[in-house]
Formats: sequence, C-alpha cells, structure tokens
Amino acid sequence: MTVFLLCFILFLVGLYGVFTRRNLIKIVISLSIMEFSIFLMLILIGYIDNGIAPIVTPGDLNPIYVDPLPQAMVLTAIVIGLATTSMLMAIAIRLYRKYKTFDIREIKSLRG
Amino acid sequence: MEGMSIIVKKVTQLLCGIIFLYGIYIISHGHLTPGGGFAGGAIIAGSFILLILAFGSDALNLKKEVIESSITESIAILIVILIALAGFFFGIKVFFANYLPRGIVGELISAGAIPLYNIFIGLEVASAILTIFLALVIFKEESQT
Repeated sequence: MTVFLLCFILFLVGLYGVFTRRNLIKIVISLSIMEFSIFLMLILIGYIDNGIAPIVTPGDLNPIYVDPLPQAMVLTAIVIGLATTSMLMAIAIRLYRKYKTFDIREIKSLRG
Repeated sequence: MEGMSIIVKKVTQLLCGIIFLYGIYIISHGHLTPGGGFAGGAIIAGSFILLILAFGSDALNLKKEVIESSITESIAILIVILIALAGFFFGIKVFFANYLPRGIVGELISAGAIPLYNIFIGLEVASAILTIFLALVIFKEESQT
C-alpha cells in the first residue's frame, strides 16, 4: 500500500509543477512526471513478491512470474505519452516563434 | 545551434557506440530476456539524439537525415506487415503465423519468426523517434532565422 501512496505523492509533485511553474517547458516536464507516476502505479499493480520476468525458460526453479498484462498496457501508454509530449513541444516552439518567450504571463493576447 | 563543451563531446565520442551496441543486444535477445523491439529501438534512437545534442545540429545534414529516417521507418513497418502476411501462405494459414522452425528454447536463433519481428520493429521505432526529434530541431532552427 505504501508504494501506491508514493506514486500518488509523485503525481502531486507533477501537479504542483503544472500549477506553479511559469515556463512552458517546465510545464511539459511536470506533465511527463504525472504521466510516469501513473505508469509506475500500473506496473506495481502487476508486481508479485519474488517474481521474475515472465519469460518461460526450461529448468527454471522459480515458477513465480510477475503479471505481464500491465507491462504490455504500459508499453502502449509510453508510446502515447511520447506522442503527446512531442506534440506539446511542437506547440511550445510555435508559441515561442509567435511571442518570443516561454513565459505564460507574457502570452496574453488571444488574437488569431 | 553549436555544440556543447569539449568534455561533453569527448565523453559522447566514447559512449555513443557502446549505447548503440547495447540497443542491438536488447533487440537481438528480445525473445530470451526482457526487452525487445521497442526498448532496443528507443535506446538506439537515444544514441543518435545524444550525438546530435552534443555536437550541435551543424554537424549533420539534418534535412537529408530526416528524409532518410522517415523512408527507413516506412520500409521497416512494411516489411513487418509482409512477414505477418506470409503467414497466410505457409503452415497453418492465419495472420501472424509462426511458420519458421522453432529451434531449441533458450538459444539465440530460435522462436521462429519472432526475432525478425523484433529486428524490424526495432528499426521502425528507432527511426520514428529520430524523425520526431529531427522534426522538432528543424522546426526550432527555422523559427530562429
């Protein structure tokens, strides 16, 4: 139970970053931290004590394997996270081209 | 964008090939150990990204590079689909059939067609991540001029 609480604290660290930072790049980094706290929680759901990687090899004395299903799901989620992060970076670069700054207090005018 | 300091450049020269080889190891042992196409491809793309970040975007011809990496990506995913379609013609006729001989469990050349999928998915992932990174770099370069 403690590890899930630690994952939630990591999520709150990312949320604090999103709320308080004013640089666009730091906001994107905080969003990535939130994302990876969720991945960590999903991986820890499938963890079994003393389990090994779920690859069956002959002569294996330890037949306890961790659950491979959350791992496959998190692998898909990592790819989606990569795509969203790169899209956020592209938007940040485009805003920098228009306003010449990354500070969100300077980006005020919502004109076209 | 010019490169970083001489310390970063020298350490990158020493480490870049080792990171590349480690990615190839992860891909080629994908059916025996944890890892596989996606993880190894991400490591290989990481070695290229380290090189570009350390030496600056003037060291390579980035426009040519991004065309080549996107062509590599398309060809690799096409070969994966062709290998999967070949399951319709050999052995039991289903999509993604493992028609090659299985070999002995635990050896490097075994598990039928799965190492082939791992290799081409590794190529695809490496060139896709490199294409995303190069697109962002070129986008930023164009915005500065």
